[in-house]
Amino acid sequence: MTATHTSRAAKRPATSGAHGRRPAKSRQRPNWLGGLVGWLWLAIVIIPIYWIVITSLKTQSNYYLTNPFAPPSEPTLDNYRLVIEMDFPLYFLNSLLVAIGTVIPSVLFSFMAAYAIVRSSGVSRFLRGVNSLFLMGLAIPLQATVIPVYLIIIKLHLYDSLTGLVLPSVAFAIPLSVLVLSNFIRDVPKELFESMRLDGATEWKTLWGLAFPLTRPAVVTVSIYNALQVWNGFLLPLILTQSPDKRTLPLALAAFQGGPYGVNVPAVLASVVLTILPMLILYTVGRRQLLSGLTAGFGK
Amino acid sequence: MESRTPSRRNFLTLSMGLPLGAALAACGTSGPAPSGGGSGGGAAGGSGGGGGKATYWFLQGPPGEAPRTASVDRFNKANPNGQIAITTIQNDAYKTKIKTAIGANQAPTIIWGWGGGGLRSYVQAGQVEDLTSWFGENAAVKDRLFPGAFGAATIDGKIYAMPCETVQPIVLFYNKKVFEKVGAQPPQSYGDILDLVKKFNDAGIAPFSLAGQSRWTNMMWLEFLFDRIGGPEVFQAVFDGEKDAWNNPASIEALTKMQELIKANAFIKGFSSVTADSNADQALLYTGKAAMMLHGSWSYGIQQEQGGDIVSSGGLGWMNFPGVDGGKGDPSNTVGNPGQYLSISSKATPEQKEIAKKFFATGVLDDQEQKDWVETGGVPIVKGSDKLFAGSKDAEFLNFIYGVASNAKVFAQSWDQALSPTAAEVLLDNIAKLFQLSISPQDFATNMNAVIGK
Amino acid sequence: MTAISARRTSSAAASRGGGVLPWLAVPALVAFAVFALIPLIGVLLLSFTSWDTLGEIQLTGFESWRQVLTDPGLPHALWVTFLIMLLSWAFQTPASILIGVFLAGRQRYRELLAVLYFIPLLLSSAAIAITFKALLDPNFGLGAGLGIDFLTQDWLGEPGLAFGVVIFVVSWQYIPFHSLLYQGGVRQIPRSLYEAAELDGAGRVRMFFSITLPQLKYTIITSSTLMLVGSLTFFDLIFVLTEGGPGDATRALALDMYKRGFQANLMGAACVIGVILVLVGLALAMLLRRIGGRDPYASQLEGA
Repeated sequence: MTATHTSRAAKRPATSGAHGRRPAKSRQRPNWLGGLVGWLWLAIVIIPIYWIVITSLKTQSNYYLTNPFAPPSEPTLDNYRLVIEMDFPLYFLNSLLVAIGTVIPSVLFSFMAAYAIVRSSGVSRFLRGVNSLFLMGLAIPLQATVIPVYLIIIKLHLYDSLTGLVLPSVAFAIPLSVLVLSNFIRDVPKELFESMRLDGATEWKTLWGLAFPLTRPAVVTVSIYNALQVWNGFLLPLILTQSPDKRTLPLALAAFQGGPYGVNVPAVLASVVLTILPMLILYTVGRRQLLSGLTAGFGK
Repeated sequence: MESRTPSRRNFLTLSMGLPLGAALAACGTSGPAPSGGGSGGGAAGGSGGGGGKATYWFLQGPPGEAPRTASVDRFNKANPNGQIAITTIQNDAYKTKIKTAIGANQAPTIIWGWGGGGLRSYVQAGQVEDLTSWFGENAAVKDRLFPGAFGAATIDGKIYAMPCETVQPIVLFYNKKVFEKVGAQPPQSYGDILDLVKKFNDAGIAPFSLAGQSRWTNMMWLEFLFDRIGGPEVFQAVFDGEKDAWNNPASIEALTKMQELIKANAFIKGFSSVTADSNADQALLYTGKAAMMLHGSWSYGIQQEQGGDIVSSGGLGWMNFPGVDGGKGDPSNTVGNPGQYLSISSKATPEQKEIAKKFFATGVLDDQEQKDWVETGGVPIVKGSDKLFAGSKDAEFLNFIYGVASNAKVFAQSWDQALSPTAAEVLLDNIAKLFQLSISPQDFATNMNAVIGK
Repeated sequence: MTAISARRTSSAAASRGGGVLPWLAVPALVAFAVFALIPLIGVLLLSFTSWDTLGEIQLTGFESWRQVLTDPGLPHALWVTFLIMLLSWAFQTPASILIGVFLAGRQRYRELLAVLYFIPLLLSSAAIAITFKALLDPNFGLGAGLGIDFLTQDWLGEPGLAFGVVIFVVSWQYIPFHSLLYQGGVRQIPRSLYEAAELDGAGRVRMFFSITLPQLKYTIITSSTLMLVGSLTFFDLIFVLTEGGPGDATRALALDMYKRGFQANLMGAACVIGVILVLVGLALAMLLRRIGGRDPYASQLEGA
């Protein structure tokens, strides 16, 4: 992390500023407008979340009979118990498998590709072409291609399988991952690569021995970002699976909508809370790296 | 009804003992080729391994899952050599999923459905077996069921599905306590409805609860108005693909009356934001915020379970939709689900088809299954099943439903089930617009005429 | 191979003759090709067919195109998509910049706020849509709960309101992300610029417009690109929240594609919408490149 940042600062004085990267604030007068909007938006963010949490602690029969914003008079964990005893763990496992199955290959493949693109410095026409292809993948809404994807998955006999979910998810994750990762790899000082080369290290060894450890924050950022996308993904599971035992969490949540028999709202909200927990942990653990990664990856 | 206890209620209820065979057949991963189960196009030799297994998919969740599963279990016990493996699928996703599976040549042997337009699309794609001659040979199987149940199983004069399970007519529910408070009587005619709308609005109570966001809820109103004003022939003409059938004067009159009701504030304020899937419309009735509600017969179970004491204290009233003065339709007619339907995939192996037919003849709606359905508050589509109601605490309601279903001259199928998926989508969209008053009755008819026969 | 490249003098030359580098890109390329590139071509090919998912795929030439292009639903869906894109951008961008500037402060509590802000981003669109659907119920939702009559509206039943709800919920979900981008951007602005301006006696507002905003130029371009291209594909949120309703008031292109394909069984027509989506995406990227003066993504690749 520090290594990357120092190198970035060293390489790009123009962006970082001659006076280093001290914060732009700490002036005397407070920023009233920003503060107002900031606190107002905080309230807007918090109210629905508060509602989700307290409602998940209410019984279903109380749901329509009590004020929606009053905390439950007798909080109950029954909804959580119900959800865990039913098939929530199955959906959770499916989501987890798809997330892991997508993140690991997509990040590894993307890292290798990003490394190759950066290291070839635009000399290889093949890699230049690959790079433009991925950039085009960013501009095109890949969701527009779901119908052929659906057809391909059927032809491969992967319809309604977790593998069938993973493969397109990997492909969809690659363009952005390559972009962010190559931004970081580019910031590794060329001299380091040069010295590895003089030591007789192969590209393969340089890739994993030098570039990968030096760009760990980027790898973390990209991994969390991809995990989040897949964890919350909806369209692919919706069209590529059908049986309940292949369902991922967001789809399971939405599947309770629309039927004539209705929904146990508090139980749905309990599973919303449970669904967000892994992401919250991941976010708490990787927050600093994620934020700096986002800033560096997108925000230049 | 007892099975609809809160802990079981339609949430995350995957049938726990999902047979491994069904799971494997449905997933079709790269492992060994799908065994007899999902064997679709071309896999003719596939019957070798899986021998005597037919597959059967149906809707999961209460109230139907338990009786369906039990009936298959009994059949499997009685037929160790020719068994059925089940897969359950959540309500909302079912229609799309079964369609997709059939298209992907992964159809189950026994296809559970609602008949009508969905069945027609399978028939057109050659995906389901013609059962006409089989019913001819097995007349007893056919004769014990309500004749009205076969309408939605019949496409162009041929029977493609075995009717099963229960009738679910649409019923006009009302909150007796609210009626008492205002001093009102249940409506005997459409004129009474208009009077009640005024009366309840004056008392600050919404006359009707309606979950307008869900669209099919609005459709139930149109179904009754069309029937009562013009008789069942009006929609039948649409179903038969007659050109410009929606331009029938009775159709325009019904659509106009619908918009008049909306303009008279017959429905709860903001009804277009109320959703049926969260049961918010049911809550409006049992909390007394609305006086009446037109809804499927299953609403009784929801009221009983969530509505506090409204059912047990006799606070819930029900009736068939009243007649419209001067209308052609018989007020005994009803609409809704005249039954559920089982078809056989034409891509199944001969062994699988045999198992399925045996199940139709000996397993479907056997005595125990009828009892199970009655216990869930359902009325089986079997003649004389009303003798099973004795002793049930819901006997009053069940007898009412049996009476409606067996006395109905015409038991019309819900429109969105009767039409093709393409037309049903257009229908629901236009219904939403009609209820927003953003299109006129004539616009509605014109838009719908454009998809007749599609 | 490596022995050879090690003997080369320029690292750039190492890859000229092929070398190991191109091979490293192959796994990503293959994955991308099979499930993104081929489908991209496939969507074009399928748009010239008819397929109802049950029967066989039939080549029908321009039939699906004719069907879609003559359908008044298409301009409507394009218009809805455009409005969602424009309005959600116009609402999110100023709010995100203001919040980003606010969050860039180093006070501890603002760090905590940043954590809270991020929560909506962790929720799936499906969960968010379910939540707001319940909160917007006119009889049992926000208005009734807080006792504020203004909040009791036919939120999902009036086309205009439902549209506003979609914009608001989209913003609720994504403003946190963009605020964080701006927070990072603001923190990179050299403080000396403000110090100099302060010496000149510039006011806060002036500093914001003459220093902060210009310095954030590239962040604004990146954030806007993500917002605009992303808004083309809002599907899950609208699907669960309004299902395109009331009527077709919020039926954007992506939803229209799904409904035609998977609900009305018209896969050919759905692919026509898919092709249109791709074209709109490409046009948008080109337009942004014009406006930004450079490709917001390629800018990062000046070495290449």
